[in-house]
Amino acid sequence: MATINGYQGNTPVAAPAGTTPSKQTVPAAKTVDTQSVLKRLQSELMALMMSGESGISAFPEGDNIFYWKGTITGSKDTVFEGTEYRLSLSFPNDYPFKPPKVKFETSCFHPNFDVYGNICLDILQDKWSSAYDVRTILLSIQSLLGEPNISSPLNTQAAQLWSNQEEYRKMVEKLYKPPSAAA
Amino acid sequence: MGKGKVINDAVKNFEVTGIDHYLLVDADFEEEFSDYFRCCVCLDLLYKPIVLTCGHVSCFWCVNKSMSGMRESNCPICRHPYNHFPTVCQMLHFLLFKLYPTVYMRREKQTLEEEKEMALFSPQFGYEACNSDQQHHHPRDQQHALDSGAFRNGEFCASTQQIEPVKFVSMIQAPTMSIPNEVCDENCTMIRADSVEENNLPEDKSNINCKQVSVSDVQCSTCKHLLFHPVVLNCGHVFCETCISPVNEMLTCQVCQSLHPRGSPKVCVYFDHFLQEHFPTEYAMRMEAVQAKQVHVKSQHPITCSTKAGEKSFQSSSATTRENLSWWADPHSKVHFGVGCDSCGVYPIVGDRYKCKDCVEQVGFDLCGDCYNTCSKRPGRFNQQHTSEHKFELVKPNVINRVFENESPAPILSGDAQDSNRNSSASAATHPDRAEDENETQTPR
Repeated sequence: MATINGYQGNTPVAAPAGTTPSKQTVPAAKTVDTQSVLKRLQSELMALMMSGESGISAFPEGDNIFYWKGTITGSKDTVFEGTEYRLSLSFPNDYPFKPPKVKFETSCFHPNFDVYGNICLDILQDKWSSAYDVRTILLSIQSLLGEPNISSPLNTQAAQLWSNQEEYRKMVEKLYKPPSAAA
Repeated sequence: MGKGKVINDAVKNFEVTGIDHYLLVDADFEEEFSDYFRCCVCLDLLYKPIVLTCGHVSCFWCVNKSMSGMRESNCPICRHPYNHFPTVCQMLHFLLFKLYPTVYMRREKQTLEEEKEMALFSPQFGYEACNSDQQHHHPRDQQHALDSGAFRNGEFCASTQQIEPVKFVSMIQAPTMSIPNEVCDENCTMIRADSVEENNLPEDKSNINCKQVSVSDVQCSTCKHLLFHPVVLNCGHVFCETCISPVNEMLTCQVCQSLHPRGSPKVCVYFDHFLQEHFPTEYAMRMEAVQAKQVHVKSQHPITCSTKAGEKSFQSSSATTRENLSWWADPHSKVHFGVGCDSCGVYPIVGDRYKCKDCVEQVGFDLCGDCYNTCSKRPGRFNQQHTSEHKFELVKPNVINRVFENESPAPILSGDAQDSNRNSSASAATHPDRAEDENETQTPR
């Protein structure tokens, strides 16, 4: 319960100081139905920030709460240790009953991601459940980094190289371009 | 440092967008509610809770929208497969209303707005004053509403922040509430006398107002004691795990006589935790009594819906399921995609489908073959005004080929198919303005 009330407890302090909420840019939130999507995304955002989860983060980009940017860092003791990746999450109007579209913005050399940033992960497709959220998605992708599914690769080169962890690590380092620091 | 900055950003961001301005103001006066009763889908307080056969709970619409109209559905939490859209658990519904009236009323208001938008309504249970023409005012339900209202206006409100009563008055005057203030005040003393037996309740810090809930609100329909390891049947009625017993492998509700499909339900663990916390004395007594009575049974089958035991039985049940549900892959089976039975809740209907010719609601009223043959008298799942005088017609599933022609059968397809289906069957039941096809296709009828 910390999530909702903690969050809402914070705001009255800040609200009077700021400008009154302008009527601009309520993103596609005209119908009542998306109102519940908004609420859910807000709850998720607060839960995510309160959880203090290390290695993952996500935040809406600009004014549009239906479009988030997330980051994950490679876990310790994997070939991705010390790397950081930026992702985009785009939520449909019937979220959470349909999964968000998740893509890598930073290229990542990995058997289950292609060069365009597409991710092959069952929970983002047919195994999606409405109880999943941004946090579980990012954690799943993070764990997928270290434990790829070699049997159905999107990037066959990466899949072939995976057995040689030393070479793989070199490849990751060679191809790694850290995301720009700007938030 | 980093984290704090992020939170400040968040506040700033919301100020700029103004997305949730009203929401923040609203929620500031609300009671905190237990995480036991947080819906895993909307992340808010459960509203019109439905307990799945695996023991996991979600809101009416959250369950409904999470279901698949094309094949069997899976629990959002544990993926336990199920075919039937269960009925709202009224016991939990009224319990939550009593525990957290302000939040629950907000949920009701929000849900009602969405329902109006969809032109599709969840079952109404009495204290809601919306859609007065569609309402069945049950005396007991009204009493429930009075109970909570009275309590809020009286003792509880006085003991909390100054702002609280103001908030509540505004809730009372909201269009969804029918009880005038004076009535509540009059009833106040009576209610308190009613709840004498809870003197030995613990003063839980997070839930001061839990005092108003008594054992009589959460007792088993069979043994009339405090629920112990509660299980909720498909019909929404609640029993102790030990108070239900299958006859000929079929489980029948002892209250409404309806059959519970597909095996024994699992204990609703969160509800059980709540009972244990709020009625520790009674709960301990019940535990002793049950253990003394059934030591051997318990040790053999410790049924919980917690992961291990649950998963094991799920596996076995899903194995049988796959056989039962081979219709999904068989183009010759009679699957009525996107159509559910209004009696047993099976969704989608497989086999015969009977459609009411006289129900005017957009969502329609349908029965599966079994329920049609047993002359089910249960009301519709979406508050349809179906009566026993209405006539039915047998509808053929002529949608299958269309769906299978396409590789990925999207829900909207079944909607189209439905339309053509309806038109071809020359039914008089079609409502003139079919506003929201998309919404409709996701819902059982």
